Amino acid sequence: MITFFIALPLLVVLILNLLPRKQADALSFWCGMALTVVSGIYVLMAPRPMTSDFDPVNLVLNWKIVTSDLTAVMLISIALVVFSAFWVGRYLLEDENRQFIFNNLLLLCMVGMNGVVFSQDLFTLYVFLEIVGASSFILIALERTKAGLEGAFKYILLSFVATVLILSSVAMLFMVCGSLDYEAVRICLTSGTLDENTSRFVLFAVGLFAAGLLIKGGMVPFHGWLPDAYSSAPTPVSVLLGGIVTKAAGIFTLIQLVRNVFVFEGVSPVLLVIGTVSIAVGAFAAMGQSNFKRLLAYSSISQIGYIIVGLGSGHIIGIVGAILHLFNHSVFKTLLFVNAAAVEKQSGTVEMDKLGGLSNKMPVTGFASVLGFLSAAGIPPLSGFWSKVLIVVGLWKAGAPMAAIIAILLSLITLAYFLSVQRKVFFGKLASGLEGVKEADFRVLVPTILLVLITLVIGLTFPWLFDTFLVPLESFL
Amino acid sequence: MNMMLLAIVLPIAAAIVVALVAFRKSALAGYFAVIASIANLYLAYQIYMTEASTSPVVPLEWAGWVFEFALRNYQFSSFILIATAMFGFLLSLYNTAFLKDKCNGWLFHVYFLLTLGFVNGAVLADNLLLLLFFWEGLLALMFGMIYLGGTQNSFRTATKTMIIGGVADLCMMFGIGLTVYLAETASMSEIKVAMEGLGSLAFVLLVIGAVAKAGSMPFHTWIPDAASDAPLPFMSFFPGALEKLLGIYLLTRISLDFFELNAASWGSTMLMIIGACTIVLAVAMALIQKDYKKLLSYHAISQVGYMVLGIGTCTPVGIVGGLFHMINNTLYKCCLFLTGGAIERQAGTTNLKKIGGLGYKMPITFLTFIIAAASISGFPFLTNGFFSKEMVYDGALQRGYIFWFAAVIGSVMTAASFLKLGHAAYLDKRGDVSNVKEAPMLMLLPGVVLAALCLVFGIGNFFTGFLPIGEFFQPVLGAERLGGHDFTVFHANWFLIGGSIVALLLAIINHFAGYKKTGSGIGAVDHVHYAPVLHQMYDAAEKRYFDPYEWARCVGRAVAYIGWGIDRGIDFFYNRIVTFAANGISAAIRAMHNGSHVTYLAWSIAGILLVIIACMTGRL
Repeated sequence: MITFFIALPLLVVLILNLLPRKQADALSFWCGMALTVVSGIYVLMAPRPMTSDFDPVNLVLNWKIVTSDLTAVMLISIALVVFSAFWVGRYLLEDENRQFIFNNLLLLCMVGMNGVVFSQDLFTLYVFLEIVGASSFILIALERTKAGLEGAFKYILLSFVATVLILSSVAMLFMVCGSLDYEAVRICLTSGTLDENTSRFVLFAVGLFAAGLLIKGGMVPFHGWLPDAYSSAPTPVSVLLGGIVTKAAGIFTLIQLVRNVFVFEGVSPVLLVIGTVSIAVGAFAAMGQSNFKRLLAYSSISQIGYIIVGLGSGHIIGIVGAILHLFNHSVFKTLLFVNAAAVEKQSGTVEMDKLGGLSNKMPVTGFASVLGFLSAAGIPPLSGFWSKVLIVVGLWKAGAPMAAIIAILLSLITLAYFLSVQRKVFFGKLASGLEGVKEADFRVLVPTILLVLITLVIGLTFPWLFDTFLVPLESFL
Repeated sequence: MNMMLLAIVLPIAAAIVVALVAFRKSALAGYFAVIASIANLYLAYQIYMTEASTSPVVPLEWAGWVFEFALRNYQFSSFILIATAMFGFLLSLYNTAFLKDKCNGWLFHVYFLLTLGFVNGAVLADNLLLLLFFWEGLLALMFGMIYLGGTQNSFRTATKTMIIGGVADLCMMFGIGLTVYLAETASMSEIKVAMEGLGSLAFVLLVIGAVAKAGSMPFHTWIPDAASDAPLPFMSFFPGALEKLLGIYLLTRISLDFFELNAASWGSTMLMIIGACTIVLAVAMALIQKDYKKLLSYHAISQVGYMVLGIGTCTPVGIVGGLFHMINNTLYKCCLFLTGGAIERQAGTTNLKKIGGLGYKMPITFLTFIIAAASISGFPFLTNGFFSKEMVYDGALQRGYIFWFAAVIGSVMTAASFLKLGHAAYLDKRGDVSNVKEAPMLMLLPGVVLAALCLVFGIGNFFTGFLPIGEFFQPVLGAERLGGHDFTVFHANWFLIGGSIVALLLAIINHFAGYKKTGSGIGAVDHVHYAPVLHQMYDAAEKRYFDPYEWARCVGRAVAYIGWGIDRGIDFFYNRIVTFAANGISAAIRAMHNGSHVTYLAWSIAGILLVIIACMTGRL
């Protein structure tokens, strides 16, 4: 397990860089393909809970992990998004050298995210978070444009703050507990043996950690870096960032730590407020954007707000909804960024004022984006509807009806801005200068179609999925 | 399979077969329809011959609670059943010839066969909800048939029919709901409701459903419109025959079985007033019509008045007379509409100003017209209309002179208008009719049969005893309610007979006076039409000022206007205020994202402080 998800990609990166450049260029893409596809299938097929008792790595490291359905969800999402990013990179990045760098960094980022998912102690978690962060910085600035460098700088700046917070928090917890192992920390914090001063100290540490993760997750008011980074990055990188990075680094970790390690309910109201505000700010800000990618970035803030709200409800249905929404968001946001990539390449711009009527020229992309939008806005029977329903129901049951109502009303705003995008980009009259636009080629249609199918299948088979997959999640939680 | 169920299923199945096999082939569809209606007649005859049952059978275990597929061979039902089957057979012959060249004729045959099935269902149903199902189905079929008229206004008229019928049926639906609630059963053979409180409301609502189906005032206004916009076979089948049979059937069931109406109750007075008004007002409109079909359509309304009046009297003679008038009316009215159809097909128009002297060209049609017209006018001792009207007069007189007087006035005008019609269409010298030929065999046969039946039920019955009365109508009342009366023998009341004869003479005198004045049959009642006060009233009526449907449309327009205003307001709220607010918020938020990392850093630090404070204090 560890070998496969962490050591193998790392080894692949090393080998690729030792090989002669010419072979490595072509090989890097196919190595990435193989790794993502195999890991996706492996996770789907493997019996759960997956264990790592017979892992070669354990001969040296003694890294025992126990994975749950939540881990599986994350691993599949990671594989899916990285898979899509590989295709989009191959499609969009014309310079071979740059493509090679992109592929390498993508693999590193995947190693980082898998590591975050598998981490069993706080310091390991920190290390992998930094791997994810470092590879993301470089990826954002890949094109070395001014905007890209500025975006990367903002990300580094705020990530630096997050690093300080997390590292301090780790140090404090180590002071208190004497160990950073999840299990040990949990026992230490919940045993009730801490005196009053220490408890306050622990709360302070938990607050620091949570704030750091919220920065990584790009929640309001820690979101300043996010729109700039997403929109100035090359689109394949936007796919990766929007699809999974913030969720793996920020949100998943938050769920994991809050529910399993700190076991601290006091953070719920904070999450509710931050989530609701994020939903609102993201949605309203997205409404007025003229740049397709920037709009998607703000929409990400809004959608991740739903996940946080679901988590903050503290009710089991809300949390299950949050996890499902996490996955759904990976799917539809990746899909939309992939569509943005297709539009960018075929028409040469992502400024919505210059676009229009592309649906006739790019039927597959147009259709896929409709599905992506509708799923994001929570229209039945697409997958996004079910997760939002679960979140709203969870909020209601947890006794936060106001948050539930806000969540529902703001999904109208979501629909509004997505419809306006759809109208400006895909429907209506063909904008001048776009007469020669053609449908994107298979390199981008492969992930498009895969993601569309997932959206549809999850939406349509939801009742079955609910019984067989989501309800068992409860046992983990 | 149960015979009654078969009678419902067979015509419907035949309709489906016709729709599939004879798609767009009117002639072929016609032959199928004839065969199917013969089968239907045979089934009706079989049901009619079997002993009437007192309890329902449930051939299909479909649903539970109050709705069940219960059918019952009630003696009155079986009579209506065989009557409609006979009309169905005769009209299928007529339709085959009439619709042969019409491009939508096949569809009419399909609707026609569906109608037969639905009528059988409505008549045999022993469950009020099942009855309602078939009742509504018939309304939908009426819409389809009128629409096939293919004139400019067909759709409008069809819609009008649908709305009027729909409103009435809605009332009936509420009535059924109330009745089921009060009687705690939906089985028609068990329902007994007292006429008090909610019971009276249920009664009124059900009566609305029944008289609206019969075409009585004030639910009549679609019939004259349909006369000009619907295909003629529709007119002879629905307003001419079926509607009367069904509407009066239900009215009888309501007033005799469900509520046990008696002469002392206000319900009886209400029915009589409706009946009297319908008789006089509709026939007054019929008097001045200048179109063959339209004139007949007003009579179709007017005649219902006699039936409603007769049943409303709640006297044995009145009820039996009303029911007897129902079957008589369907015979001659259907026949009259068929002559109208023959003229329309042969002469190309039914506008009386353009045709005349057809009696010489179409002698058989003329003969059937004379018999049917004499029947509707109540020609003494020979025709069926005379005998049934006498009984209604008798009942009305027992309840009050005014009702009898209204009925007699109606007879005067009926006779006058038919004198005018016959004179104008068949005898006047007007219009170019030199190329007109007698109608084909298939179209004449039904008319001849019906005219003959008019005589059989009239003078024939006089000698043999009134067969339908003894067989069907008296059992409907039951021995107790009959109170020892027996109407199978004609009881001559010379006061009433004298009144009727005087009425006829008045009509004849009026006709000849008018004829002398204008010199043609068509203008024989112009002196009434253009009389000082009547003239204005007629003009207003012709402009539909008295049409409740038009009033309702005015109200509807007003409501629509108000609703439009409200809608504008809501639109304004969403399109202006909400959008403005959302855009404002959006702009403000965007303005806050100024791209400066210092700002973002400041926000983050503020956020960190908030999170830590919230975590440490547990409050936010």
